[in-house]
Amino acid sequence: MSTQARRLPLETLSGVLALALTVGAAALVIFRIRALASFDLRPLLPVVAVFFVAIVIGEVFRVSQPGTRHTAPLATAAALAFAMTVESPHGTPARYGADLVVAVTAFAMAVGLAPSLVRGRPSRVSDLANSLAAITVAALLFREVPISNGRSLLDLQPGWPPYLLALAMVLISGFALTVEVILAAVVRSTRSHAPFLRTFQDEFQAASGLIAALGATGALVALAEPPLGILAIPLFLFPLGLTQFAVRRQSTIRRTYGQTIRTLSRLTELGGYTEPGHASRVAELSLAIGHQLGMSERDVLDLEYAALLHDIGQVSLTEPIPGGATVLAAPADQRRIAHDGAEIVRQTGVLDKVAVIMEAQTTSYRQVRELGEDLPLASRIIKVCNAYDDMAGVRPTPARRNAAMERIHLGLGYEYDPRVVDALARVLDREDQ
Amino acid sequence: MNDTGSKGRSQNVSVPSRAVSAYIAAVLLGAVGLAALAWRVHPLSVNAPFRSDVVTLVVLCVLGVLGSASQERNVGGRIGFSFTSIILLAAVALLGPFGAAIVGAVTYLLVVNKQRPEVRLFNIGMTSAYGAIGGFVYLLAGGTAPESSIGGVWPLVLHVGLPMMVADVAQCLLNAVILAGIVRLTKGTPIRRFVLGMLGTSGPAYIGYGLIGFLFVILWVPAGVGPASALLILAPLFVARWAFVQYGDEQRAHERTLSALVAAVETKDVYTRGHSERVAQLCDLMAGSLSLNHQDTEALRFAGMLHDIGKLAVPTRVLRKSDQLSEANFASVATHAASGAEMVRGIEFLEGSTEAILHHHERMDGNGYPAGLRGEDIPLFARIIAVADAFDSLTTSRFHRDAHTVEDAVVELRRYAGAQLDPAIVAALERGLARHTWEPTRLEPTLMATAGRAFDHDDPAVSDLMVGLASGQRAP
Repeated sequence: MSTQARRLPLETLSGVLALALTVGAAALVIFRIRALASFDLRPLLPVVAVFFVAIVIGEVFRVSQPGTRHTAPLATAAALAFAMTVESPHGTPARYGADLVVAVTAFAMAVGLAPSLVRGRPSRVSDLANSLAAITVAALLFREVPISNGRSLLDLQPGWPPYLLALAMVLISGFALTVEVILAAVVRSTRSHAPFLRTFQDEFQAASGLIAALGATGALVALAEPPLGILAIPLFLFPLGLTQFAVRRQSTIRRTYGQTIRTLSRLTELGGYTEPGHASRVAELSLAIGHQLGMSERDVLDLEYAALLHDIGQVSLTEPIPGGATVLAAPADQRRIAHDGAEIVRQTGVLDKVAVIMEAQTTSYRQVRELGEDLPLASRIIKVCNAYDDMAGVRPTPARRNAAMERIHLGLGYEYDPRVVDALARVLDREDQ
Repeated sequence: MNDTGSKGRSQNVSVPSRAVSAYIAAVLLGAVGLAALAWRVHPLSVNAPFRSDVVTLVVLCVLGVLGSASQERNVGGRIGFSFTSIILLAAVALLGPFGAAIVGAVTYLLVVNKQRPEVRLFNIGMTSAYGAIGGFVYLLAGGTAPESSIGGVWPLVLHVGLPMMVADVAQCLLNAVILAGIVRLTKGTPIRRFVLGMLGTSGPAYIGYGLIGFLFVILWVPAGVGPASALLILAPLFVARWAFVQYGDEQRAHERTLSALVAAVETKDVYTRGHSERVAQLCDLMAGSLSLNHQDTEALRFAGMLHDIGKLAVPTRVLRKSDQLSEANFASVATHAASGAEMVRGIEFLEGSTEAILHHHERMDGNGYPAGLRGEDIPLFARIIAVADAFDSLTTSRFHRDAHTVEDAVVELRRYAGAQLDPAIVAALERGLARHTWEPTRLEPTLMATAGRAFDHDDPAVSDLMVGLASGQRAP
């Protein structure tokens, strides 16, 4: 895949933007402290310190949500609360600007990132940059943007009933976090070459629960600060801690599931039924094509599992097919293997969609064209990818690749879906670059 | 309540016996008495802030009903949230004992789930009673109705937070005791055991409920958010609950996928059909006798389920061969342990199982394969699987003999203990079998016919045959 080549500029770009934001905010804070006599940071120091620590801790315990998303719910909620704090302990109004919020958050994020850098864990600058952007949006909306008569929400809110303030806070958090989702979708769709709208839909669906939890928690902490002081910050982050724990569990089991399927897909290889790496190569190609064709995340997952397991039906054969290449086997045998595999997968009782995809993986495309048969897109993708990999083999020479593509083109429209073959050609072109 | 509690509540009392009816009546009467007392001691304020108290009461009742409707589903992994507990606790602080008793009663009076009338009556009585008791305890522990004038950390912690925690503990205990009574009457479980069990599983959760209830109250009154605070407080909890439900579903899906696919692989070898699943069950049973922790039990179960996965790499014709096996054939069968371990390498959650799969054919006398390990050098899980393997092989029918009965199989195992199997593990299996019933697997004659005279590598007698082979194979 060419992601390596493309990731660099994207990551560098978001890194540079985040750095510029941070430096700008920090410069503004220093300017205010130096130049404005009325700006006194000292009474705010305890609040700032506790928020700083909360964000650092939250960053250290970053969780990866199902899929490839990385989030730090506790850090984000703490930063949102910091952005929307109206009163520090002892009843002093919190009159700091968005610049302080951005500078402190950025600094805390950088500190929180350190342990994973030291341990050599891969981390994405773009994830951090997106979070920082969301916090910046929230802080600007709450503290700086003039709403009426040149006064910001922070200036307007004294005297408001608390529930109205809470509503405003939740709305602002929701908006800011949606901005983060949009940015994440841009990054992701560039990376996976999937249509932006589809990626945004997937991202938003996956994040909607957390957005609600984060928005509520940010408002909770900010509203509880007047009566409880800085104690409000750890106490009111506690319910979100449960959420974070649950999300972590969820993503662990998702990852485990994926590993299990991948390992089971290797069983036919270790048993000598198929070529080493065939299943995972077919899955990788199918995944790229699925993204390219704008399939939803859920469908892509089913596609990936079906692609990984597409040859599992071979375990019921007494003797392996020579070379394991099903494309060279007789059509009746191909169908039987597909059917046996689908039956095996159906036994699980939880992978019915995958079984349907596997069942239809040998059906010719002409069945759709001529008989109007309903053939899942995923099955058509697997059919093409399987044929390509069987004919091209491991690390094919350009000549062999062209030969494989030529043979697939011979079956275009009859055996294979032209849309899928087009997408395959585009994916292979990208690999060349 | 929590998982144990909800099970206790929704249990089937097919025909309420006289004792059970009397118990339910007593609980209901007690609840009414407590509510009356609560009204005398601390009535709802009917004067100036009348409206706000009534609003609070209505809002909390609605929340209670919604909360109880959402909690019946088992979340799995022993994690359950009790929204009702949190709301009842908030009622204790916000409304006092009478209000809490009303919220408790209304919650189960209007609960949407289908419940038998006597179960519903019992739940109404129990929840109302411990709402009232919680309210009394709160007042006794120095709790005051949180006023918006209370400010500062210490007054809030001392006069609201701590009394709520005390009331929380009292409610937890009372819940356990009342439930224990009904379970004693319907199922005969000793009260002491039930109470201790329930405190062990759901006690820690009550600390969380106490804390969240406290946050709820602070937001409601001192922060002035009022009824809207329910939305803010419960949002992260609902999301957490949703994620836990997903987690439970996926975990079940994962296990089913694994076992179904393993079963598919077993189709290569008729004899071993269902064998892996049974070995996994036997491992589970022994894990209980050896008091392994939850995580180890999981790893052991997976190892048991996957211990023969390496057979996929053994040519089918060797597995189905009916005449005398050559030494080369034995050697080929013996590779399955190593290839199995190789196959599962790279799956994080099976890291603890790899060793067990690799060494499950080692013998205590060092004549096993693949490494010829001896005695305690053999990983514990591998020794456990070896016993389960041999036991299942003996209790399954073979072409030359019928399935052994459980008693006969145990006698056989004792014969092999020492040289082949670990005596301590065999004893653990016996203890496990004393607690659970085990049915020998009698294969259908037709199935036996297709299996032919294929040999069974798990049979302890075959292990003796293979001894020579291992010594030839052992690494220099």
